[in-house]
Amino acid sequence: MDHTRTGCRRLRHMTIFSTNFNTIDWVIVMTYICIPVVIGVLVRKYVKQLSDFIVAGRSLRLFIAIATLTGTELGLVTVMYNAELGFKHGLSAFHVALIEALCVLAVGLTGFIVYKLRQLRIMTIPEFYEKRFGRDVRIIGGTILALGGILNMGLFLQAGARFMMGVTGYSNPAGLKIFMSVMLIMVLVYTVLGGMVSVVINDFVQFTVLSVGMLIGSFFILKTIGWKTLFEIPQSVNANAWLNPVAEGSGFGSIYVIFMVILTLSAATLWQSGTLRALAAKTPKTAKRLYLWSTVSYMARRVIPMLWGIGAFIFFSQTPKFIAAFTGPESLNSQFGMPLFLAKVLPSGFLGILTAGMLAAFMSTHDSYLLSWSSVITQDIIAPIRRNRLSDRTRLLTTRIFIVVIGLFLLIWGLWFEAPVSLWNYMAVTGTIYLAGAFTVVGAGLYWKKASKAGALIALFAGLLAILGIGPWTKGDDVSWYLSDKFIGVMTFVVAFLGMVVGSLLFPDKNRETEA
Amino acid sequence: MDWKLLWKFLLILTLCGYSLLTLIVVIGGIHNIIDMFRDLTSQSETSS
Repeated sequence: MDHTRTGCRRLRHMTIFSTNFNTIDWVIVMTYICIPVVIGVLVRKYVKQLSDFIVAGRSLRLFIAIATLTGTELGLVTVMYNAELGFKHGLSAFHVALIEALCVLAVGLTGFIVYKLRQLRIMTIPEFYEKRFGRDVRIIGGTILALGGILNMGLFLQAGARFMMGVTGYSNPAGLKIFMSVMLIMVLVYTVLGGMVSVVINDFVQFTVLSVGMLIGSFFILKTIGWKTLFEIPQSVNANAWLNPVAEGSGFGSIYVIFMVILTLSAATLWQSGTLRALAAKTPKTAKRLYLWSTVSYMARRVIPMLWGIGAFIFFSQTPKFIAAFTGPESLNSQFGMPLFLAKVLPSGFLGILTAGMLAAFMSTHDSYLLSWSSVITQDIIAPIRRNRLSDRTRLLTTRIFIVVIGLFLLIWGLWFEAPVSLWNYMAVTGTIYLAGAFTVVGAGLYWKKASKAGALIALFAGLLAILGIGPWTKGDDVSWYLSDKFIGVMTFVVAFLGMVVGSLLFPDKNRETEA
Repeated sequence: MDWKLLWKFLLILTLCGYSLLTLIVVIGGIHNIIDMFRDLTSQSETSS
């Protein structure tokens, strides 16, 4: 009986895992992934000092900054979580793209936070904490930033490996471990070698390949599904929920929309890997313009993968055998929807180019994040604890060691942890651990004279509440509203904000009181 | 509110806007990379 069931399941999975990915596609992918390593070696001679390694000597001009910001913020994991949103929620998922684009546009028009930060010539956000609130706040803020950031990238490897399995049609359960290990080694090699200069060049190459690949891929998908069919409601879903994000049954709701507004605004201004690009911009004005131009790429990084996810759902829902693979207790993870769809509708050759582009996107995001969090640990935790008695050489070495240590953590975490609700919700909640405190502390630090050290510390610690949002109690269809990840996310921001206001009013800084 | 029309508009805007942005950034980015290496080379020469 069990054998029969297993056999049937295998047959079903063999069908769902069928792919157009052939030898020629493997050759394209293998050739392409050597390029970043070669670039990493070639640009090594330009990395003479720490600022070259972390912010490319603050030499980024507008267009390369746009490419590198997009290269960082449009990774394979971005494609995966947005495609999953489209696959699970349909057209209503587009609201996240619209909200984020409007927030980035607002930052680009006003220079909110980023303009002032670039004027201060800092390399990391916690450096601002020290300038404004003192060394203790920097160390604590740096620790929370590193914790939230590393947890946030905890499922990158897992998502990347699932994409590779789906596209190549590799259905063996061991595939996850194999793909994760190989991908990690590739990223570590060239991030450790080149630092930000190689990251910038690779981001540019990858921006080009990925952008062209995504646009052509979308053309194929629209051709397969048809423009008219794309906007018709599949029979198996609730029509209102498929279109309207605040409708009952959409899986989002009003609290989710509020969470997205706060989260995407704070992430646009203060997400370390993205803000690092603004801090590396040649002038504060370039930093501001960078956001204005990036509105389009921020929208594209969500809308295009969501389109692929929606296309995947429509395609699979037309074949009961395929859609059955995603339902029931032993269903495939919904992250597999988009790659399995691409594997069936894109022609061989182009599938190889797109996979190479996606793999490159995976590497460009991974390298930037590894660099961001390892430099935060070195610059904002270890160096201040040692009272800045570390030479540039020691800092470089420490940063490189932490790149490897974080990489190993990602491998272990990705092998046993599953996102309770969806990949994007996991990213949103873990991002909140850092963002709730950072947005409040930096915002108040820059724009409110009464903001005090006590208020900053309360706000930073409040961010830790968001860890509750990845607990097992958030999983399932019957979760109480107060236990849902979106409610926990919103409340974390509210508590951090109130903590800053109340803490600053009750415990003002003595120095500032004297100055006043 | 006509959600379908809004999402249609967003999709068309994104595909057209991103195609244009890609073209501009690729052309502009090549010039920027050349300038960046010129900056880094002159910085390292000055520091040595």
